[in-house]
Amino acid sequence: MNARSIHPAAWIAWATCAGTVAFLTTDPVTLLLLWGVSWFVYANHRSDDDHARSFRVFVTGAVVAVVLRTALVFFGTISVANTAFSFLEGFRLGTILVIFGTFNAVTDPFGLVRMAPRHFHEPALAAALALSIAPRTVASVGRVREAQRLRGLTVRGARSLPALAVPILERGMEEAHALAESMDARGHGRGRRSRYRPQPWTGASSAIVATAGCAAAAFLSASAGGWAVLHPQTSPLVWPETAPILVVAVALLAVPGLLGRHAG
Amino acid sequence: MSVALRFEDVTFTYPEGGRPALDDVALAIPEGSFALAVGPTGSGKSTLLRAANGLVPQFSGGTFAGRVVVEGRDTLAHPPRRLADVVAFVGQDPGASFVLDRVEEELAYGMENLGVDAAHMRRRVEETLDLLDLVPLRSRSVRTLSGGERQRVAIAAALAAGPRILVLDEPTSQLDPQGAEDVLAALQRLVHDHGMTVLLAEHRLERVAGWVDLALGFAGGRVRTGPPADVLRELGTGPPVSRIGAIAGWDPLPLTVREARRFAGTAPMPEPPIAARDGLGDPVAEVRGLRAGYASADAIRDLDLVVRGGEVVAVMGRNGAGKSTLLRVLAGVHPPSAGDVRVGGVAPRPGVDAALCPQEADDLLFNDSVEAEVRATLVARGETGDAGRWLDALGIAGLATRHPRDLSAGQRLLVAIAAIAATDAALLLLDEPTRGLDTPSKDRLVGFIRRHAGRGNAVVLATHDVELAAAVATRVVMLAGGERIADGEPAAVLGDSRVFAPQMTRVFGHGWLTVEQVAEAIA
Repeated sequence: MNARSIHPAAWIAWATCAGTVAFLTTDPVTLLLLWGVSWFVYANHRSDDDHARSFRVFVTGAVVAVVLRTALVFFGTISVANTAFSFLEGFRLGTILVIFGTFNAVTDPFGLVRMAPRHFHEPALAAALALSIAPRTVASVGRVREAQRLRGLTVRGARSLPALAVPILERGMEEAHALAESMDARGHGRGRRSRYRPQPWTGASSAIVATAGCAAAAFLSASAGGWAVLHPQTSPLVWPETAPILVVAVALLAVPGLLGRHAG
Repeated sequence: MSVALRFEDVTFTYPEGGRPALDDVALAIPEGSFALAVGPTGSGKSTLLRAANGLVPQFSGGTFAGRVVVEGRDTLAHPPRRLADVVAFVGQDPGASFVLDRVEEELAYGMENLGVDAAHMRRRVEETLDLLDLVPLRSRSVRTLSGGERQRVAIAAALAAGPRILVLDEPTSQLDPQGAEDVLAALQRLVHDHGMTVLLAEHRLERVAGWVDLALGFAGGRVRTGPPADVLRELGTGPPVSRIGAIAGWDPLPLTVREARRFAGTAPMPEPPIAARDGLGDPVAEVRGLRAGYASADAIRDLDLVVRGGEVVAVMGRNGAGKSTLLRVLAGVHPPSAGDVRVGGVAPRPGVDAALCPQEADDLLFNDSVEAEVRATLVARGETGDAGRWLDALGIAGLATRHPRDLSAGQRLLVAIAAIAATDAALLLLDEPTRGLDTPSKDRLVGFIRRHAGRGNAVVLATHDVELAAAVATRVVMLAGGERIADGEPAAVLGDSRVFAPQMTRVFGHGWLTVEQVAEAIA
């Protein structure tokens, strides 16, 4: 079994459900569990080094988001309650980023293009190109840094920014232009389309959609029912309570990690 | 015979202005031709190739006059996508053309756009995978492929779409000699058996001259069409066999080793020259028990190597033999997993003890002039020194004020080499340094490497270019599967090989490497 055996649509469903759960709560235990679940899924499905690097970038971005959001408190009244509130808001944002990073690392964005209905082919392709930018840019940063090191330039600090940014931006522009040319020259947009070996829907894909759906449903009902555990109070600051049913729901999001460990 | 591709009085100028890239070009390429575009860098070859499916002017912009007709369709009236069923194009940077992620899907992309039915598509993908020997790569991600693999996948993807005309810009620049031979043989079969038309640009004439039946000779935007021997004679260029043929006055001018042997057989040859092995300095690089690689596999296994000052070592071997990894280890940017690597007695510091010009040379360039590019290296060394000296050394002083982006791929490579050499490291490492270089530029590079080594530096180059190794190397190290399988003087190592022997060895026998040596002997 390999990563391909999970249909891209199942990954979209998983990411949407996990994102919904993160969006609905500021409970630190739930959010922390979501980081763990994301890492578990990523570790069992990552496809190659480029994706691994881009996942690390998303995690770094998430940590930065948490820190920045928490730091916002310095622009207002500084109190324990305010800081805790800001931190939890930031934690939620960071969690959503980590989930997106996982999605980005485990799916082949172009697999998504293949499954899009014919009328949605164009927007799907645009989305896939956008999704592929993160891993491409990360790979490009690594290459350019190394190239500059080779001639004794240390790429660090603001003064050396051009040495890094100029080749990356120029290459990015050239690549985008070359890609547009290539697509046109290879007949993209002629109107007729057929599909090469469409990916089959598998039992694993159904299991992922079902379990992720349950997780999201649990949080949606909790939110609709106004459960206090979703948003622990910060003023006064108390240790958050957790509802066992919601912990189980988050655990369901780890199911993809149990299905189809990627070989190689 | 009907015409596959016709240019009618085409004059084209890029939006930046200046001299026309194509100047009143009129030519017709008959169906079933195997045509070669030949001429110096910047003479309009790539522009003409890109005009064949309308990318010029439809994507480039610029001023276009005249008409290009492909299988009866005017390229101004039909956007490139409307020509995709008859003409396929593979550009200089094969990686840039990839749209999808997996090799197999990349091959199917063109057919999907043309609406080929699923069963037919499946069969054609399998056939094309076989034709270019890509079956082991079928489910790999295109981003993880080596340069040579990318090149074969790009050609396969173009072929799979089933075009009547295939246009290729330097299709063998990253392939090893055997890989290049296989690709050209596959193309010839399509030309002979299926009447496909192939038009390619290539600087490594020794690889292609024997295969083609029509040549387009480029000089300053003007193009002359004719039999390959005539066009090459007029341009004063050609593979080593034609260059020696021109010197010896052979007529008709030979294009292949076979043709040249008919003339050479009649002339008695003196004893071949013996390479001078004196003047070698102290060891610059010392490698002991080296093992290096990536998570998945070792690229280098148990290698010992000593390179002395004054030596020019050519590291050769098929795609994936471990050449680039060895260079990266010597440069100090790839940590060895076992063994000891010393350059100048210490673990190599990149840009100080060893300097490497990587295959993706464009990654280096970030300044707005060629001169500033070299100066950036000097400043990093804390020098205010003379950038001009390095530009002179590589024969690119005339480009000093130009923006690197506006140069041809070959010219940018020379700029990158100058920027790397300006570190003045005692060990200079060059990874595939002749991609996109025309014969005069290559001669200048050879001169530079000789002078650089003559000053006591060591040079190690990884290359597929047999003629470059024959011209400049004092020693050849052959790698296979990460292990050294041969090491010695070029005459011995290259001369013994069926695949890597330079043309002069094939024609005149063991010991003869370059046109200069033979010309001197028969003069």
